[in-house]
Amino acid sequence: MRANFIFSEVWIGLRRNLTMTIAVIVTVAVGMALLGVGLMINSQVSKLTGFWSDKVELSVYLCTKGSPFEPCKNRGAVTPEEKGTLEQTIKALPDVERVQFENQAQAFKNFQSTESNTLLLSVTKPEDMPESFRVKLKDPEKAAAVASSLKGQPGVSNVVNERDLLQSVFGFMDTLRNVALGIAILMVIAATLLIGNTVRLSAYNRRRETGIMRLVGASNIYIQLPFVLEGLIAGLIGGVLSGVILIIVKVFIFESIQTYMAAPLGWDTVAGVITGTMAVGVLICVLASFVTLRRYLRV
Amino acid sequence: MIHFDNVTKVYANQNRPALDHVSVDVDKGEFVFLVGPSGSGKSTFLRLVLKEERPNSGSIHVAGKDLSKLSNFKVPHLRRRIGCVFQDFRLLPNKNVYENVAFALEVIGKPRRFIRKVVPEVIELVGLEGKAHRMPEELSGGEQQRVAMARAFVNRPMILLADEPTGNIDPATSIGIMKVLDRINRTGTTVLMATHDAAIVDSMRKRVVELEDGKIVRDQSRGVYGQAY
Ligand SMILES: Nc1ncnc2c1ncn2[C@@H]1O[C@H](COP(=O)(O)OP(=O)(O)OP(=O)(O)O)[C@@H](O)[C@H]1O
Ligand SMILES: [Mg+2]
Repeated sequence: MRANFIFSEVWIGLRRNLTMTIAVIVTVAVGMALLGVGLMINSQVSKLTGFWSDKVELSVYLCTKGSPFEPCKNRGAVTPEEKGTLEQTIKALPDVERVQFENQAQAFKNFQSTESNTLLLSVTKPEDMPESFRVKLKDPEKAAAVASSLKGQPGVSNVVNERDLLQSVFGFMDTLRNVALGIAILMVIAATLLIGNTVRLSAYNRRRETGIMRLVGASNIYIQLPFVLEGLIAGLIGGVLSGVILIIVKVFIFESIQTYMAAPLGWDTVAGVITGTMAVGVLICVLASFVTLRRYLRV
Repeated sequence: MIHFDNVTKVYANQNRPALDHVSVDVDKGEFVFLVGPSGSGKSTFLRLVLKEERPNSGSIHVAGKDLSKLSNFKVPHLRRRIGCVFQDFRLLPNKNVYENVAFALEVIGKPRRFIRKVVPEVIELVGLEGKAHRMPEELSGGEQQRVAMARAFVNRPMILLADEPTGNIDPATSIGIMKVLDRINRTGTTVLMATHDAAIVDSMRKRVVELEDGKIVRDQSRGVYGQAY
């Protein structure tokens, strides 16, 4: 094999179809970046799910003074006796694994760290925060039953199934991921067709050369390699661009929402995603070139 | 060297065979003219030798190999032992004479040292010494055909196929082309040339195989082009 000969052929081919090559590169870059974002959201969701599944499942909020909740009306804040009875009641339930009390100071701290609305932060005082019992269940499926049995207890303002809240966040992220993956699939199809077209053009432009190569007995690999390499290089450049896009997405989007995520996406995951998407991009390009060649470069 | 046994070739979507039960034997070192009217199957015959087309029936042996048993993978190796020239020269317009000839060796992976040695030799053999750096557009038709012959011969093939090599060239220049073909033939290369050029056939006095409607109607050693034309 004469490497420099093949590379000069590849270079000529890429330059002759510059606009098509750029189209391929951009399509691969965007398609693979979307695929990568989808994968990143996916692993973020599963990380969060893992993180939250051994955290709170039910929050039993207690009455404060002047609480607007229906069960607290016509009565004051919860009394220490009521708290004691409630704790015993919760602990006695067969589905409860453990119970943790969160006082107003802790609740205020959590609120400060997660709330971004400065106006709300400035007017809220620790006394406004409700105390709560954080209940971990043995079987998360029993949450609804336990919640309803605790709702009527004296001093309880409200019972919130934290999973329901998370579920809506997860649902949103699932939608985001599906949209990203859906567009990624369309882009992959577009990239495949574009590459097919580029290779066909390239084969047409070089029909003289390939005709002579066939005639003098160049092997099929030798004839086809420049075309496949063209696809490979376009795929590789597109893949590198998609890697850059993914790093930008990680730094500017995933990093900035990390405060709420509790389980941040690590660079190792991002690196894995980038490697994977680049491999997919290159593979698609090479396969598309190869399949088109079979049709347009009769040997 | 070339052995056709009862070969029939019918192209797809054609009801008349391009070659109809053709049997012919060409020995090593022979010079054979393939003559006949347009559409009589001369080019088809040459394409079958190259395994560019497959016969519908009959068997073809080239250089001792049964082409029907030759896998696609091995076809390039067959073609390395067969040189080809055509009426339309088929040179690469963006390469000069030297590069056009060297291309045939580059694409079969010959080492550069070998290429540097043999290309000038073969350029001289076809009578183009001093013109190695000319571009094809700076050459006459006859000179371009010499480049094509140099390219066909540079790998020292056992067989040279020529499909109307003088078809685009005036009679005086054609004589020079024929001299080169004769020189190539004298090195032991089997030459098979399809042509319409009666003057050339008559002057060379070589074996003549005449086709008509895909059938062999004459096979004559030291023959002439024929009275009918
Ligand atoms: N690729 C093809 N597909 C279908 N039919 C073909 C093809 N090539 C040749 N033919 C037909 O086969 C017959 C023989 O063609 P061929 O080219 O072998 O003739 P030829 O003797 O070389 O003619 P010419 O002297 O004009 O070059 C013709 O009838 C032609 O129309
Ligand atoms: Mg012909």
